Amino acid sequence: MSKFIKAALASSVLVASVMGATAARADTATADARANILQQVTVNSDGTALDFGTIVTGTAASTVSVSAGGRSCGAGLVCSGATSAAGFDVTGTAGETVSVASDPSVTLTSGTNSMTANIVASVSTLTLTGGVGSFNVGGLLNVGANQADGAYEGSFNVTVNYN
Amino acid sequence: MTIQALRALKTCCIGLTSLATAMTMTLTPAQAAGDLLVAPTRVVLDGDRGTEVILNNIGSETATYRISLELRRMTADGRLEEVSEEQSNQIEQAAKAMIRYAPRRVTLPPNQPQAIRLGVRAPEGLADGEYRVHLLFRAIPEARSVTDQTVPDGGFTIALTPIYGVTIPIIVRYGNLQATAAIANGRMETDAEGQSFAFDLSRSGDRSTYGEIRITKPGLDEPVMVARGIAVYPEVTKRTVSLPVPPEIAAQLSGPISVAYYESANDGGALIAKSDMIIR
Repeated sequence: MSKFIKAALASSVLVASVMGATAARADTATADARANILQQVTVNSDGTALDFGTIVTGTAASTVSVSAGGRSCGAGLVCSGATSAAGFDVTGTAGETVSVASDPSVTLTSGTNSMTANIVASVSTLTLTGGVGSFNVGGLLNVGANQADGAYEGSFNVTVNYN
Repeated sequence: MTIQALRALKTCCIGLTSLATAMTMTLTPAQAAGDLLVAPTRVVLDGDRGTEVILNNIGSETATYRISLELRRMTADGRLEEVSEEQSNQIEQAAKAMIRYAPRRVTLPPNQPQAIRLGVRAPEGLADGEYRVHLLFRAIPEARSVTDQTVPDGGFTIALTPIYGVTIPIIVRYGNLQATAAIANGRMETDAEGQSFAFDLSRSGDRSTYGEIRITKPGLDEPVMVARGIAVYPEVTKRTVSLPVPPEIAAQLSGPISVAYYESANDGGALIAKSDMIIR
């Protein structure tokens, strides 16, 4: 079993060797080479998280948005610190078109307090030019009036859908 | 050693650890827990024979993955939209009921592949047709340790954990099914992200079509552009295909061109549809 798996995962190497064998035509002898070659997809986090930085609340409700382009701090809030959008890398077959979907929103909680954030993926369709592609996920945080202090946590789903 | 000295040492150690973590992250940015590899990227089952899908942990830490059956519907612009249990129709429920797979949860050390076995059990009197589910592979995030949850003195901090994964279609074809497709209305479109070549891809019949789009120009041997993994699922009879094109290719996409839709090489590579058009 594990041999088969390794053989399948080493597909690129096998492709190269099988193709090499076909290209070099032997005059005196022939041999069949067979391998089960599977197309693969990988999804990696590139190490950056969706980070809204530090926010000091105001008396009125406001929003903070973060995308790959940077941060936009709503009226009445004070924002500081570095921000980042979560980044993902996808590899697969060259020229493959995949669709990217994320949860529309996420609820962040800290004890009994909560707030919501809208989640936005930078693309809905990704073309793997040369077999690689990347996208990032930003968000719009809805900060309530006099939002309670605390450490808010939440999680959201990001899915790469193959056709 | 005094308690204060111990505290200082602890702070220092934490500082060093976080510094080390930061350094590791810069060195290997593409290896967070939960990274995954899935092969193949599409499964078509004809009849009762099952198959295997391989899941590999390509991250640097041990991770637990959950494998589940999800429903998706294609939209008019070709995206796959999530379908909840309540929204699902009879065909989708039947598809979900006939797929058997195991294991459904697996913990893998780095670089450890695991085969997920897939099988079909079609119920008696199943109507001919194409049944489809999407197999979702997703890492379960680790629980945060209590020490990470430090509450700040003022303002608030936010920890948002992405749970990311990949879905691949599992298609069961029951009966003798046919489908044809047609290409029309090729056009160049421009939006904020740049130029794209778009066209309408219509489908008729009782199964999906899947393959690659090859755009050729008369006089050129090689295709100007190839896009793989283009599907039209049975729930839509027509979708738009919009392919982002870099400027150097966009410049070539004018005048007479030919847009062809081929089956993928695994399915035989036959021509499904072809249309000659003039782009202005």
